[in-house]
Amino acid sequence: MLDVRTLSLLLQGAGVSLLLALGSIACATLLAMALCAMAFSRWTAVRAFYRLYIYIVRGTPLLVLALLVFYALPALDLKTGPYVAGLLVLTLYVGALFAEVFRGGVLAIPRPQWESARSLGLPPGAMVRKIIAPMVVRYALPPYINVCVMTVKASSILSIISVWELTFAAREIIERTLAVFTVLGLAGAIYFVMCFGMDRVGRRVERRLLAKGFVGAPV
Amino acid sequence: MIEIRGLKKSFGATPVLRGVDLHVDDGEVLALVGRSGCGKTTLLRCINFLEEYDAGEILLDGQPLWYRAGPDGARRRVPDQDARRMRQQMGIVFQQYNLFPHMTALENVCLGPRFTQQVPAAEAEERGRRLLNRVGLADKVDAYPAQLSGGQQQRVAIARALAMRPKVLLLDEITSALDPELVGEVEDVIRSLLAERIMMILVTHAVGFAREIAHRIAYVSDGLIAEIGTPAQILEQPRDPTLKDFLRRIR
Repeated sequence: MLDVRTLSLLLQGAGVSLLLALGSIACATLLAMALCAMAFSRWTAVRAFYRLYIYIVRGTPLLVLALLVFYALPALDLKTGPYVAGLLVLTLYVGALFAEVFRGGVLAIPRPQWESARSLGLPPGAMVRKIIAPMVVRYALPPYINVCVMTVKASSILSIISVWELTFAAREIIERTLAVFTVLGLAGAIYFVMCFGMDRVGRRVERRLLAKGFVGAPV
Repeated sequence: MIEIRGLKKSFGATPVLRGVDLHVDDGEVLALVGRSGCGKTTLLRCINFLEEYDAGEILLDGQPLWYRAGPDGARRRVPDQDARRMRQQMGIVFQQYNLFPHMTALENVCLGPRFTQQVPAAEAEERGRRLLNRVGLADKVDAYPAQLSGGQQQRVAIARALAMRPKVLLLDEITSALDPELVGEVEDVIRSLLAERIMMILVTHAVGFAREIAHRIAYVSDGLIAEIGTPAQILEQPRDPTLKDFLRRIR
């Protein structure tokens, strides 16, 4: 009952899941950088928009958000299909989570570091590139990886808007073969491997950064 | 030359500086001493605008720093761009070194010249190496702060402040956080700067060191300069009764 065709279908589905997850992680990271900059804007209205975005997106179930975007896009005359809609939903959702992760990283920068940077008179661009970003990367990496792993699993929800990914493939096979536990077990194992791999990559980056000098951690 | 007139600053309802007047000449070394909480560190931080202040003026070579009168006569902070330009003219060294942990010693020192003063990379690096050599750390250019001792980190911090070629060097209790055996190496670096006649304002508890290097000592008490004079005057013939008491305690 577990033939080569089943396995190859599941792996194809896993490929789609991974692509969706990685694609949305990349887009969401960019979105979150913009959002995080808004969180520290000098204008109240911009900061208020940030809070509103976070409240709404984080306070809505991903499933509801997915259905909403899936039906809303055609209503707006945008014929994009489920894959683009899926990528968009994941990006919007994960972007909100990343933004809060980044904001936490900025808040974790010790006050004396700000003062050192200010006393050197660094212009804003250099301040972000040379001081803020490198420190935020170090502080935010563990929770960032956390959200990345969650994104892989959250991509399974997109099966509900007819994105043919790992969970969708698994359900298709089950309808045909009725091998519920074998197929679901296999799908679960594949998800686990993807998440585990992501975690390992995160740990490696973490160790590399720590080796490059960071107070408070063993060198 | 730095002139401070009527500087006032409160933290909430607590006044910290209550109208400080002070004048420091080019090439002069001024030590600020006083009890903890007397306002000496706040005064130093106001000069670099790490603290905003409520009233008064600070002038560097006659140019007013940090605040301008707006069209309506109200006092306003200068635009960030102007504040950055003003900050370049002074260097500050902190008690806790505050090096950037993700940068090597050389990168820490080059950062300001490279990105604030737009010095070309090669020239900034050359300047950085020369300064690290000067503070005795030629062999540590590629070390990260976590790999350096407190004394070494503080010497990098001094090199970082000097890299901007400041008109004035502000030193905020720079040896207070160090183990006793590391104090000497940092003090030696400061001694070596005397020959260059760079203006220095230092907050310190090390009265012996202040007597040795300072032209004048100012005793800060309760948010005011209570007494100011040569080290001999302040340390041997103090007039202010609280200063007499202060000197008795720290000896």
